[in-house]
Amino acid sequence: MEISVKSKSLLYMKRYWILYAMLLLPLAFFIIFRYIPMGYIQIAFKNYSIVKSPWAMDWAGNYGFEYFIKAFSNRDFLYALRNTIMLNFLDLLIGFPAPIMLAIILNELAFKRFKRFTQTVVYMPHFLSWVIISGLALQLLAPTTGLVNIMLNKMGFASIPFLNEPSYWVVTYIVLGIWQSCGWNTIIYLAAIAGINPELYEASAVDGANRLRKIWHITLPGLRPTIMILLILSLGHILGSEFDRPYALSNKLVTDVSNVISIFVYNNGIRGLQFSLSTAVGLFQSVVCVIFLFTANALAKKSGERGIW
Amino acid sequence: MGFRKGISILTISAAFALALSGCTSDKPAPSASTAPTASSSPSDSGEGGTDAKLEALGLDSNLKFKETRKITVEVYDRGNDGGTKPEDNFYTTYIKEGMLRDHNVEVTFVPVPRWTETEVINNYLAANQAPDVSLTYSYPTIQTYANMGGILDLAPILAENKELFPDMFEYLTETNIYWDQDPATGTLWALEGRLNVLNRINTFVRQDWLQKLNIEPPTNLQEFESMLRAFKDNASTLLGADADKMIPFSTSFDVGWRADHLTTSFMPNDLTDKDIYVNGFDDRLFLMPNYKEGIRTLNKWYNEGLVWKDFPLYPAGDTTEDNLMKLGHVGAFMHNWDYPYRNGDDSIHASLQRLVGPDAAYVAVESFPNDAGVYKKFLSGPIDRKVFFPATNKEPIASLLYVNWISKFENRVFLQFGEEGVTHEKLPDGSLKTIATTGEKIMNSPANIDYTITSNGINLGDPDLTVKSIANGYAGVDSKLIEIAHKITTNDGRIGKNANVGQIKAEDGQGQALKEKRDTILNKAVVAAVDKFDEIYDSGMKDYLNSGGQAIIDERKAAWEKTYGTETMLK
Repeated sequence: MEISVKSKSLLYMKRYWILYAMLLLPLAFFIIFRYIPMGYIQIAFKNYSIVKSPWAMDWAGNYGFEYFIKAFSNRDFLYALRNTIMLNFLDLLIGFPAPIMLAIILNELAFKRFKRFTQTVVYMPHFLSWVIISGLALQLLAPTTGLVNIMLNKMGFASIPFLNEPSYWVVTYIVLGIWQSCGWNTIIYLAAIAGINPELYEASAVDGANRLRKIWHITLPGLRPTIMILLILSLGHILGSEFDRPYALSNKLVTDVSNVISIFVYNNGIRGLQFSLSTAVGLFQSVVCVIFLFTANALAKKSGERGIW
Repeated sequence: MGFRKGISILTISAAFALALSGCTSDKPAPSASTAPTASSSPSDSGEGGTDAKLEALGLDSNLKFKETRKITVEVYDRGNDGGTKPEDNFYTTYIKEGMLRDHNVEVTFVPVPRWTETEVINNYLAANQAPDVSLTYSYPTIQTYANMGGILDLAPILAENKELFPDMFEYLTETNIYWDQDPATGTLWALEGRLNVLNRINTFVRQDWLQKLNIEPPTNLQEFESMLRAFKDNASTLLGADADKMIPFSTSFDVGWRADHLTTSFMPNDLTDKDIYVNGFDDRLFLMPNYKEGIRTLNKWYNEGLVWKDFPLYPAGDTTEDNLMKLGHVGAFMHNWDYPYRNGDDSIHASLQRLVGPDAAYVAVESFPNDAGVYKKFLSGPIDRKVFFPATNKEPIASLLYVNWISKFENRVFLQFGEEGVTHEKLPDGSLKTIATTGEKIMNSPANIDYTITSNGINLGDPDLTVKSIANGYAGVDSKLIEIAHKITTNDGRIGKNANVGQIKAEDGQGQALKEKRDTILNKAVVAAVDKFDEIYDSGMKDYLNSGGQAIIDERKAAWEKTYGTETMLK
């Protein structure tokens, strides 16, 4: 018995070793660039010094938690935390279903050439950097010189403060986010739709199901595992914060809602040379992200889905 | 089976790491390096007169080393179009040959990118590889390394060998040389370069509009305000079909800079040096008494429709506002003292003349007297880049001879103007005019500022000649406009003084965060409704003070009192 398992494994390795060999490079990447740097997490608990190795730095006060206490007693950090959660939650609520709907609509397009064209067009914004998008937004949405507001004025309406009032700014932020990433995110859903067995559609057609029925009973259930996995992964990002999107779109009038954790870290930590503080905040973010990821996964498994592992 | 499972666990953990890496961020790059060791003062004290001292230093009586010494010198690299290599070109050859001829010192230049100079010199210092003669605009960087023993203390070297560096002492003066000396310990980590032109900010108005509306240049706040209203009311006379695009006064998100003359005029004239130091942490003077009233005036203008509506939206470096000025829609603004005239053909002035007409021009005006009727302006101190030697410098005397050589009149004037007929011409009145050139004799930085490390701005010895030469630098602009701007920007100015009370700990790492806060408060306050102004300004100020502002003021006050006692004025 023992021997047969061993020889079976040997045989397996002999046949597939090349696949494992190909895995070595990515593994090396993760070990070198993701695991080894984790040793530097200790900077969060130490007084940073540029000339010392992290192992030799002195421990920070309050049993090493000085910088965590410093962050949490900083009002700006708490606002940044609130804004991060708010913007990410809205992104999830509105931005997450958008590509699913778009993918279904694209899938239903009968005219194939038009479908391909549309797909390409909706991907495009994904390749624009946020700096460019914020430039476009200013050209279009500024209160007096923005094209949209000029048009509104000509039609007799007042300007809408898309960028200079916090509540409007949040809407602009979310909508631009959807515009930028929605098309790109449809790719994975379109791939999943393509994997649904066409016989199911044929059978339902025979049963007299119309389009909406087909979408409801075949396409959506077919997409369910994909949706769950992507949802779990996005929940893992609930406290992660992008930097360039809020930073590029922000201005001094909306900092109450636009200052997110990454901007706090940039201004107070990096530019203020407080590296221990930045690391402490980064570690806090990561820990919360991991908790969310595990919780979401456990919940998914409990409700009968596969989860991500 | 077990093996396969093991592999799949590995794969999954790799995937997990991928997911994790998605939400981690902002970890600083680790820097592995050893602490630089402090070196002791290298010069032997010459007991038996100058000759013995020179002998001990290895110099002959002409201050030439008997054996060739080698030093490295930092030079900024601007990566300019069509530029030469900053470490090897016509001007570096001039310096190298000069140093070898005069002092038998071989110079090697080390290029450092101009716009990331602080970060790069940081790395060099951390790696013990900083050039022997280094420079930076950031004194905190020098202070940080000095605290860790990475910088050479210049005080004892200068005390013993002062007479070897006459040109440096004459040009920089004791004020700049000892500017950064620690009052408690006497250590001196850096020499301050000399800022020759203290020009800072001007208020500009459209000269042709004043003429069209028959208004005299405003000389006080009321006149300035009625001028802005006149611009607004006469928009159709001034702009015709574009009347709805009229912007009487424009500013930017950097309100502190772009309303400076206005806010300064609200500060009491009798501020003491102590007041100025204690409340002087913010470089826009945000903490000075009565600053709020200046902003209140701006808020009033904004609500009357006299200020550009969209100003807070555009980030630093955006050209929208410049374009509005170029198109001729802007009546008045405050900015850098020569702002409309810089950049040759692309200047606001040149564009205005092309697009609007030959009469269109901005002229500097003096409109904001303070409570004593003085047109006071707060100027910076006469200091510029900080020249320092890392602890790894083994040739401090040769390095100081370099600083001396570069401060010498002939050498610095040659570097600033280059060869006659190639990079400058002499005008009949004796002033010099720079000529743009290409090829090997191109200057990579204006007036070769990157080589004349102890000078920012030209100084030809004679003030008249200097002003004329500065005006010559603005091709296509009536030199009268430049002379007016040059005169007004420092008129009644208070030159920054050196309140040297040592390091203020509360300021560590606060600069950027507080600056962001200040800009936020000012932008919100300017666009607030008039009846909301106080509420917004006061709550913002309270937050600013609670977030570290008050601690800085308190520590500055205590440090002043420790150093100067009850004195309120510096000598």
